[in-house]
Amino acid sequence: MGKKVLIVDDDPDVRLFNVTVVEENGYTPIEAANGEEGLEKVKKEKPDLVLLDVLMPKQSGIRLYRELKTSKALKDIPVVILSGIAKRTFLRSQKALTEFGGEEVPEPEVYLEKPVEPEELAQTIKGILG
Amino acid sequence: MAQEKILLIDDEEVNVRVLSMSLRADGYEVVTAYSGEEGLEVFDRESPDIVLTDIKMPGMDGLEVLRRIKQRRPEAEVIIITGHGDIESAIEALQYGASDFINKPIRDEALAISLKRAREKLDIRRQLKAYTEDLENMVRIATEEVHRKSNFQAKLIRSSNDGIVATDDEWKIVIFNPGAEKIFGYKKHEVVRKFDIHDLLPSDVVRIFEDGNGEQKESGWMETTVTAKGGEEIPVRFSGAVLKEKGKMMGSVAFFQDLREIKRLQRELIHSERLAAVGQTVAGMAHCIKNILHGFKGGSYLVDIGLDKNDMDKLKTGWKMVQRNIERTSELVLDLLSYSKEREPEFQICSPNEIAADVCDLLRETATENKVELDTELDPSIGMVSMDGKSVHRALMNLVSNGIDACIMDEDLTKRHRVTVTTAREGDDVVRFQVTDNGCGMTDEVKSKLFTSFFSTKGAKGTGLGLLVTRKLIEEHKGTIEVDSEPGQGTTFTIRLPVGKTEEAQNG
Repeated sequence: MGKKVLIVDDDPDVRLFNVTVVEENGYTPIEAANGEEGLEKVKKEKPDLVLLDVLMPKQSGIRLYRELKTSKALKDIPVVILSGIAKRTFLRSQKALTEFGGEEVPEPEVYLEKPVEPEELAQTIKGILG
Repeated sequence: MAQEKILLIDDEEVNVRVLSMSLRADGYEVVTAYSGEEGLEVFDRESPDIVLTDIKMPGMDGLEVLRRIKQRRPEAEVIIITGHGDIESAIEALQYGASDFINKPIRDEALAISLKRAREKLDIRRQLKAYTEDLENMVRIATEEVHRKSNFQAKLIRSSNDGIVATDDEWKIVIFNPGAEKIFGYKKHEVVRKFDIHDLLPSDVVRIFEDGNGEQKESGWMETTVTAKGGEEIPVRFSGAVLKEKGKMMGSVAFFQDLREIKRLQRELIHSERLAAVGQTVAGMAHCIKNILHGFKGGSYLVDIGLDKNDMDKLKTGWKMVQRNIERTSELVLDLLSYSKEREPEFQICSPNEIAADVCDLLRETATENKVELDTELDPSIGMVSMDGKSVHRALMNLVSNGIDACIMDEDLTKRHRVTVTTAREGDDVVRFQVTDNGCGMTDEVKSKLFTSFFSTKGAKGTGLGLLVTRKLIEEHKGTIEVDSEPGQGTTFTIRLPVGKTEEAQNG
């Protein structure tokens, strides 16, 4: 069984796309439709990589990313952001949260902006998981 | 009691000695003279309060002394000493202003009474004098105060930013401050005592004054325009009052605030808000389109894999994905078009109930698939009205599908989810539509962002334009839209639309 990739995105089409790319490259996909569900699955499934959207109902990717990176148990799981939001905007919101009194969090391993070519997504995942 | 000084005048030395002794014994200060002439000299030198003079003296007699003393100081008390039975002289003396007279031989009691009376008169006069002085002082202070206040008020009126125009009881302008000069373009001297209120103010404002003539009441602020000297129409806020005293008109006063600057700022604000909205719209649209593009890529990727591996399932899934995203693209474009286009409502005779029923028929399948009941409660008294049926249809479609989505998104699976569309007549010319769901409801935060572009709680599913479009349609129709929502309880949207009466619509 291949390494586990958790896909967090509220758009079923995006999940289907990402699941297919993950499967086609020999990994095992796990799905979550929002940030809250994402956090549950991270804790339960201990994935090797998280593929994370930013704008989602319930908990957003911005919050989930913070929770992952400030948790001792989870902070070493690599995170790839895949979002329609520009990287700049995402980093700015993280900076604002840090200034608001949070811990400083590192930048994500890779930041991809939608739309992404299947090839690029596959190379990114392979690059991290080997 | 102050020690009174008495001047005693008598040509008989014995009398003077005896009387002065007894007066000193009574506590008076006594000065004496032995003739009328000497008496006057002493009077001038000593300024006694009371003069006691014998009437019959060689040289200047007592009556002459009395006359001259009264000329010198009318308030001096003069008591005349007359011979026994000399009533005529006594009366004459009183006519000259003597305080009293006593007969010779002088009895102590009579003298005491007479002096007491004189003292009392002196006291009263002193008090009166003090009181008068006090009064004068008070008048002076009050006058100063009034002066100060009126100065202050004059300055206040002069330095007020508001234009202040006041008239007398015949509507002639008497006050015209620099604020008014700025607004109306006239100088004070061109207006004051030359202009009537009718020459300066528009007729609707004058009417308010004349109507308000019955009672002293401020008109409250209203917006109007006045015509300045150069003919320019100036937008102003106006408030005025007819001033009355004891039911009689004293005059009137009007306050004007120049709205030119505010109007200019408002225009600028609207302009910059529009620019900001354009920026937001572009950013929101970009995000929406990125998601759709991602869907297309995903779809074509799946189709590719399906073709490569001859996997019909993947091929079908991929093709459906492409189709869904075509649908999303066309929805976005439609929403954008109806949001960006300015349009006038197209009024036609139609039945609000039929529109509501049609919307429910169209969405019933989706509702049933998701286990949501879709009901109508339609007011049969509405009948046919004149309104823009297409706009209302579009708005209701948006609200009802929102309601269904709110039920789908609700986590409480024990609820029997339901969306109800209600119609009702409110008075003669308003129709109310309500769309109520018992779905997930909204937090205040969501409610506050409800009508902003590209805000969506539906994640990738929503364009974030639906409610914006709905509101625009309703506002173009001069209607209102309100929302009431509790998290976990559900949401009600209420639309109120002014509609033309059918008869009018048919006749027109």
